[in-house]
Amino acid sequence: MAINSDGPTAAVEVHGLYAAYQRQPVLENIDLVFPTGQWTAIVGPNGAGKSTLFHVLTGSMKPLRGSVHAFGHPIAEHRRAGHIAYMAQREAIEWDFPVSVWETVMGGRFGHMRQDAWWRRCLPARWYHPRHRDAVRQALEAVDMLAYSNRPIGALSGGQKKRVLLARALAQQARILLLDEPLAGVDPPSEKLILDVLRRERQAGHTVIMVTHDMPSARRYVDHVVLINRIIRGEGRPDDMLSDAKLAALAVSAIDTSAGDVGSVSGSITTTTS
Amino acid sequence: MELLHSLGIELVNGLMSTLMVVVNLLPDTLSDAFQYRFMQRALLTSVLVGAICGLLSCYVVLKRWSLLGDAISHAVLPGVAIAYLLGWPFFIGAFITGALTSVGIGAIERHTRIKSDAAMGLMFTGAFALGIVIISKIASSTHLMHILFGNVLGVRESALVLTLVASVIALLVVWLCFRPLLLYAFDPQQAQALGFNTSVIHYGLILLLTLTIVASLETVGIILVVAMLITPGATAHLLTDRFRTMMLISVSVGVSSAVIGLWLSAALDVASGGTIVLVATGWFFMALVFSPKHGVLARQWRRWRMG
Repeated sequence: MAINSDGPTAAVEVHGLYAAYQRQPVLENIDLVFPTGQWTAIVGPNGAGKSTLFHVLTGSMKPLRGSVHAFGHPIAEHRRAGHIAYMAQREAIEWDFPVSVWETVMGGRFGHMRQDAWWRRCLPARWYHPRHRDAVRQALEAVDMLAYSNRPIGALSGGQKKRVLLARALAQQARILLLDEPLAGVDPPSEKLILDVLRRERQAGHTVIMVTHDMPSARRYVDHVVLINRIIRGEGRPDDMLSDAKLAALAVSAIDTSAGDVGSVSGSITTTTS
Repeated sequence: MELLHSLGIELVNGLMSTLMVVVNLLPDTLSDAFQYRFMQRALLTSVLVGAICGLLSCYVVLKRWSLLGDAISHAVLPGVAIAYLLGWPFFIGAFITGALTSVGIGAIERHTRIKSDAAMGLMFTGAFALGIVIISKIASSTHLMHILFGNVLGVRESALVLTLVASVIALLVVWLCFRPLLLYAFDPQQAQALGFNTSVIHYGLILLLTLTIVASLETVGIILVVAMLITPGATAHLLTDRFRTMMLISVSVGVSSAVIGLWLSAALDVASGGTIVLVATGWFFMALVFSPKHGVLARQWRRWRMG
């Protein structure tokens, strides 16, 4: 597998990564380089280890072997500096939780608040540094949700929930954006809005890495595609990688590793989410 | 140590006098019960226990830790027994076995194929059984009853000081670590991505829970303390969609249940721990029926209006 040798400019570099759930290997020998300012789509069937890769990047899972660097340093340092924003899948969040849209998005600023004066950290939201409030307002404006600031998050529609999660990642003003299926279960207007926001992020020089099953959008928007199913199955330009033959091969190879789940595996790859 | 203890006693006396000023404003029929020193001590302990249980209850309910609370509270028993055996202050033993059990549950869950509910169930019943066996050898059954079901009217000054210290610690931690705790409760993976050490937060919260349970031991006992860690938070969750408001309501439910329950138990001459929990349960069912947004009546009303 060819690896781009972008040297120290790479935003994220993964080397020799192995990860497993209770001795069941999920990722094997993953080598990936994500150059700064590139928009990458990670594509693979369900259970291919896409989310696991994100769990490793966000630090919630320890890999068995291998290293992950961001801008040439161990990625943990960049996490603490607030450089890595993460947008979870909608199912990963407790929508019953008693917080408003504004408070949820403010959560993206909690890392940066470590730099604030000690007395601000002891005080409630009204005394947060104005830069945090500005960032939250901008993020909510970007996803067109400012009018919903005071709504409880449980009262939102599916597309609105996705936009709030995106706003939380944007509010962090991070250099690297990790997005786990940002387009799943989203209505067409929301989808357009989310893709436009991500395009602006890329234009601002930020690195965007997203997991997606939405092939038409991936073909139209992203710079680079990584096909993954436990191992890297290929990477390159969207037009080359997202051909029917390649996708079919990816779905077939999924059946080899996770027998019995044929229907959902092939279905998830060939049909795009509405 | 001597100085600290006398300072604690002074503080307790001061708080008790303040509390009595409030109590004396009430009609005589209500305040009469609190003319005795032991009733005043019981009142102050109940108020403190209601407050910290209410505070922690929000995290327990939102993180679905009800069973974990139950597990820790039962696991405290062998610690109490061993401390009694060695002549230590009982809260040290309770704290150690409570913490050990919660770490053990986490380890079983992570490294074996046993699921979390089974891990909790087997760890806490095992610890509880050990406690019962030790106590049956060394102490009377009334002593066991007091640990299991609380004996708020027999609260000693030293236990009251312990409850006070635990309350202050819990309050300070929740206040100073408000945002990490909130983020961890809401979305642990986000907390991790922002560089927060989630295992420190996780075990910190469990230690705080253990501390609260130990502090509540004499008031409601280890069987019923879990009710005080679930009911106030659940009641508050039905009444609001704001976390801070939820904490406020939850603490109010905890404190009011403790005070009303204590008074009722004195007036009716029934077990105090049980009465306190029953009052809290009463609050919960009132919220369940009458909550303006999530209540049964409101829901029926909306359905009826929709046609």
